[in-house]
Amino acid sequence: MQINKLILNQFRNYEKATLEFSDQINCFTGLNGMGKTNLLDAIYYLCMTKSNFNQSDKHVVQHEKDFFRLEGHFLRKDKKETVAVKAVLGKKKIIERNEIPYKRMAEHIGLFPVVIIKPEDTLIATGSSEERRKFLDNTLSQLDQDYLKHLIVYTKILKQRNASLKDFAKRNFYDEALIESYNEQLVEPAQYIFETRKTFVDHFHPVFLKYYKIISKEQEVVNCKYVSQLLENQLQELLIQNKDKDKYSTRTNAGIHKDDIDFFIRDFELKKFASQGQLKSFILAMKLAQYDFLAEKGSTKPILLLDDIFDKLDTNRVKQLIELVGRENFGQTFISDTGADRLTNILEEVGLEFRHFLVDNGTINN
Amino acid sequence: MNFSSKLIERAVEGFSSLPGVGKKSALRYVLHLLKQDEDATKEIAAAISELKANIKECDRCHNISDTKTCSICNNDLRKQQTVCVVETIRDVMAIEETGQFRGLYHVLGGVISPLDGVGPNELNIDSLIDRIAKENIKELIMAVSPTIDGDTTIYYISKKITDPTVSVSTLARGISFGGELEYADEVTLGRSIVGRIPYSNDNKK
Ligand SMILES: [Zn+2]
Repeated sequence: MQINKLILNQFRNYEKATLEFSDQINCFTGLNGMGKTNLLDAIYYLCMTKSNFNQSDKHVVQHEKDFFRLEGHFLRKDKKETVAVKAVLGKKKIIERNEIPYKRMAEHIGLFPVVIIKPEDTLIATGSSEERRKFLDNTLSQLDQDYLKHLIVYTKILKQRNASLKDFAKRNFYDEALIESYNEQLVEPAQYIFETRKTFVDHFHPVFLKYYKIISKEQEVVNCKYVSQLLENQLQELLIQNKDKDKYSTRTNAGIHKDDIDFFIRDFELKKFASQGQLKSFILAMKLAQYDFLAEKGSTKPILLLDDIFDKLDTNRVKQLIELVGRENFGQTFISDTGADRLTNILEEVGLEFRHFLVDNGTINN
Repeated sequence: MNFSSKLIERAVEGFSSLPGVGKKSALRYVLHLLKQDEDATKEIAAAISELKANIKECDRCHNISDTKTCSICNNDLRKQQTVCVVETIRDVMAIEETGQFRGLYHVLGGVISPLDGVGPNELNIDSLIDRIAKENIKELIMAVSPTIDGDTTIYYISKKITDPTVSVSTLARGISFGGELEYADEVTLGRSIVGRIPYSNDNKK
């Protein structure tokens, strides 16, 4: 899958812009704050119906404007397709695929897969378990519409359950029948999410290992282990066991929203013992493995977005990564970097076809 | 709009407070009424003022009614042991319109949604459970919307019914992936980033 043309209208710091892309490598270079990342985010938005950087469209629309529009011309499975986002502040935004608006935006997820690698990704290893669940959810939602459906349903039921626990505490009373109703509703989506995540981590591990070896050039054994309360017990039972705890803490203590992945390097916990270098290799391997996995199992090859990740890397490592990405199994790639010459020099040296866009405060030259 | 008459202004304001009626349509209605006989306009005014003053809620099924108990509940020809459970009086009207259902109704007033401040106590659930025993109801047909909250309401009512001879059925329902749900509101698949954290501060190597 590839995007051939991107049209922005009042999107972040772009008043109006039209870009035509190479189906191989595209570079956005310019100083920080000039809008390189915004271009990557526009592509991400068209694929995922949301910004990767700010949750609210208030921050996506150009300063002091009240709407934005994005249009992408894609080539997907040898067919030309158009995706458009129209967002007017205060109104429900519209996403169209080939001029037909979606009733449910969730249906769009996975049709135009995308992987973004960005500096904040180290949080997948060092941050809270929520970061790792988001990694799982992002990958699996792009692979499996049913997974996303179950995730939406589970999240909604959980919010209602927690809201009722808080309400009980406030009114000093407890309605067992209501909590039991939510328990029963949680079981089916939880089971689906649990099984899908478990199978995924098993299959993901060898792919991840392959990339870790390429990137780190080390033979050390890295491992990832899926952690879930549901490995030990059925959810229905866990919810009953946690009844009192739920009551006092006024939230739900058992379920797949507590899942995690543990990472190990040579049997040591990554979070505590990895060097910065190991951490960096680890995360890059994970994201490239995510790409590989989506390309292999998904509907079509994803777009790869590399945001500012060369910033702190030495030239040799950048070269090594570009060689890796430039190989045939990676599709269309977008790279943002502050140093214009460094990136283009390396690309020329490696002998890859690329298109270069100079980004300067909302205007683009190529 | 600038009116030469305060009376017209007041009437226009009244009409434009209705849903879907703008100032322009409101003025059209008012000018139309001005051309009518006085009797006709009095009839409309009376209908509106008596509506609010005299309408009641049926003390049995919570449908709207002119009398203490509504005309559906008072109709002896309807099956007295079968009750269709609905969210609002609009659902009663819609089902009556089909002419296919010959039992009684029970209007809940909504579905359970603690996030919106609607718990079981805010709905007519207790009175439904009371009715089942008092009126010897044998069959409940749950005609609530096919959403997660609708499902919760069905589960909850089923749990509250202690008599095992009461049958509870639902209208054909799709997978409970509510049409009103949007993944954007419920699920975040990516990080929301406030301050960017550098990829690495490590310049040692
Ligand atoms: Zn009645």
